Amino acid sequence: MKNQKIIAIYGKGGIGKSSTASNIAAACAEAGNKVMIIGCDPKSDSSITLLRGVRIPTILDLLREDMDVKEKNVVFEGYAGVKCVETGGPEPGIGCAGRGIIVAIQKLKSISGDLLKEQDLIIYDVPGDIVCGGFVAPVRKGFVNEAYIMTSGEYMPLYAANNICKGLSKIGMPLSGIICNSRNASREEEIVAKFAEEICSQLMTFIPKKSIVQDCEREGYSVMEKAPNSDIAEIYRKLGKAILENEKKNTSNSLSDKRLRELTK
Amino acid sequence: MTRKEIVIIHPRPSSIVAALYTLRDLNVDVAIMHGPPGCSFKHARLLEEDGIHVVTTGLEENSFVFGGHDRLVKLIKKSIELFNPKVIGVVGTCASMIIGEEMHEAVLEANPDIPVIEVEVHAGYPDNTKGVLYALKSALDAKIIDHKEFERQEYLLAKATDIEKRFGAASREYLAPSRGDIKYKVAKRVIQLIKEGKKGLIIMNAKKETGYMFADITLAVNEVAATLGIQKNLINMANIDTMLGLPRVRQHAEYIMRDLKAHGIEVHEIIGGMDEYPITGEKVSELVKDKYDDYDFAVITGVPHAIPMENIKHMELISITNGPRQVLPLKEMGHEHVLVEIDLHPKTLGVSKIVESEFGATLREIAKEA
Ligand SMILES: Nc1ncnc2c1ncn2[C@@H]1O[C@H](COP(=O)(O)OP(=O)(O)OP(=O)(O)O)[C@@H](O)[C@H]1O
Ligand code: SF4
Ligand SMILES: [Mg+2]
Repeated sequence: MKNQKIIAIYGKGGIGKSSTASNIAAACAEAGNKVMIIGCDPKSDSSITLLRGVRIPTILDLLREDMDVKEKNVVFEGYAGVKCVETGGPEPGIGCAGRGIIVAIQKLKSISGDLLKEQDLIIYDVPGDIVCGGFVAPVRKGFVNEAYIMTSGEYMPLYAANNICKGLSKIGMPLSGIICNSRNASREEEIVAKFAEEICSQLMTFIPKKSIVQDCEREGYSVMEKAPNSDIAEIYRKLGKAILENEKKNTSNSLSDKRLRELTK
Repeated sequence: MTRKEIVIIHPRPSSIVAALYTLRDLNVDVAIMHGPPGCSFKHARLLEEDGIHVVTTGLEENSFVFGGHDRLVKLIKKSIELFNPKVIGVVGTCASMIIGEEMHEAVLEANPDIPVIEVEVHAGYPDNTKGVLYALKSALDAKIIDHKEFERQEYLLAKATDIEKRFGAASREYLAPSRGDIKYKVAKRVIQLIKEGKKGLIIMNAKKETGYMFADITLAVNEVAATLGIQKNLINMANIDTMLGLPRVRQHAEYIMRDLKAHGIEVHEIIGGMDEYPITGEKVSELVKDKYDDYDFAVITGVPHAIPMENIKHMELISITNGPRQVLPLKEMGHEHVLVEIDLHPKTLGVSKIVESEFGATLREIAKEA
């Protein structure tokens, strides 16, 4: 069996998980890998920049209508051949989004078992705030085999990252690395590298904050598609490659509140 | 993409309960429900009569909020201590499944040295056969049944679901429960038919253990005919093949066969195993066409709606079901007399011999008077 990478990227809400995930997906697909991105967020915004800004029907959209869901109704090919799926979810404030994710990924598994097996890289894009059991279902149901955490050098994202470390070790999920997505905080790379070291993990890369990411996003594109020659596109390529080649996995430590404060001072 | 079926509004058996009964058929010693204390209470209680221990993690408000993992781990350990089981089952409920409980993690943590059948199920499936299917799938994964048996069961379930949708309690948006016709009157009619020398088929097509009571009707009709000295006009058919089904189900067939024999009753046609009630219909239909086309009446017990009408519609049909919502569909199919053995199921749990039915008792009483 080939060495399939099935990853999830966790991190504080709005830190850049979805935009980075779609750029990595595009970069790896351009390099000839079979890639799939599965958005597990009721916002359904994980794959939108791979599909030129178009929203695809989500698994739960179809289930809500009592449709007999088939692969071709929910798996769409985006930029560079990346397979895009969105679980979707109920309207905010209604029903149970967590259960929705469980039902949707089980459905996907039952209709697209072969397709899932074929991929070299599958990225589960989960929302920042893991509010209940459903949101960790991809990990707990044994679908994901590698977890990454994304943070900036600011205090709150690091605080969130540290909490995620606790959560991951509680459910016995090893950590494969930290991705720093810059927000132009002071001494950012140094602080995040130190954090990675102290929790016994590794810093995968430092992604600078570049307005081109948002400019491409506004037009409904990934950086890879719209600005392939930009510096940041090259960073996404390297990060994608690093993830595909990464063998390191550690059960993560977490820092005390006090130590986390000291680190960010 | 196809639109799905009608919305049924009468309450009906739940998938959780279906999973519990399946675990019983798989001879599990303890079934642990991961859910609220009152979930499936009535059936859990009945199942205890059948020799299986049923316990619950008793999730309450706090567990809904914070999860019930620890409770489940503790209960698995405790159950093993208390009951010394050889196989246990862990069954989900709506509450635990909605909050995303991972029962498998609890099982790993408790790490029992016996097989565990984990059934991720809740009550929110329109067809309760889903509960059976999930339990069997897990039993297959736990190597408690083999592939062949699994496929056989899967086929039977699909047929059972189909029959319920076409002719059963799932055939209509709403079905009012009914007690059916008056047993006294129908018993009189049956005796009259026998007396007139009419030829009758006594067909038992029972679902598993319900056969312990439906077989009593076979018994009673034969006894009555014997008293009147015209037993030769009756042909008995029953789905009591002792070589088919899970061990527990075969056992039922053996016991019932033994009791019928002890009363000197011959089962002329074995129409299948006790879990084959959804597929025996064709067999019966063919037998009737080939051999019993000239029979005048038929007493059909158990799941009468699984027998196709085509070859029996010219007979006077007397049906006995245990489903109060089954009366109307049977009448509409053309069964002239439809009786309900109220509360049949509870009386057939935990028994190993034929138990008296109300209709059987009525027949015997009236035969005495006559
Ligand atoms: N390196 C970057 N430079 C500039 N902008 C960025 C960068 N990375 C992400 N962004 C922008 O930050 C915003 C939030 O990103 P995104 O939606 O990917 O976050 P998220 O972590 O997925 O959020 P959520 O937790 O809500 O799912 C987006 O508008 C995105 O374009
Ligand atoms: S709603 Fe579901 S979990 Fe609750 S009692 Fe009913 S069957 Fe059990
Ligand atoms: Mg996101």
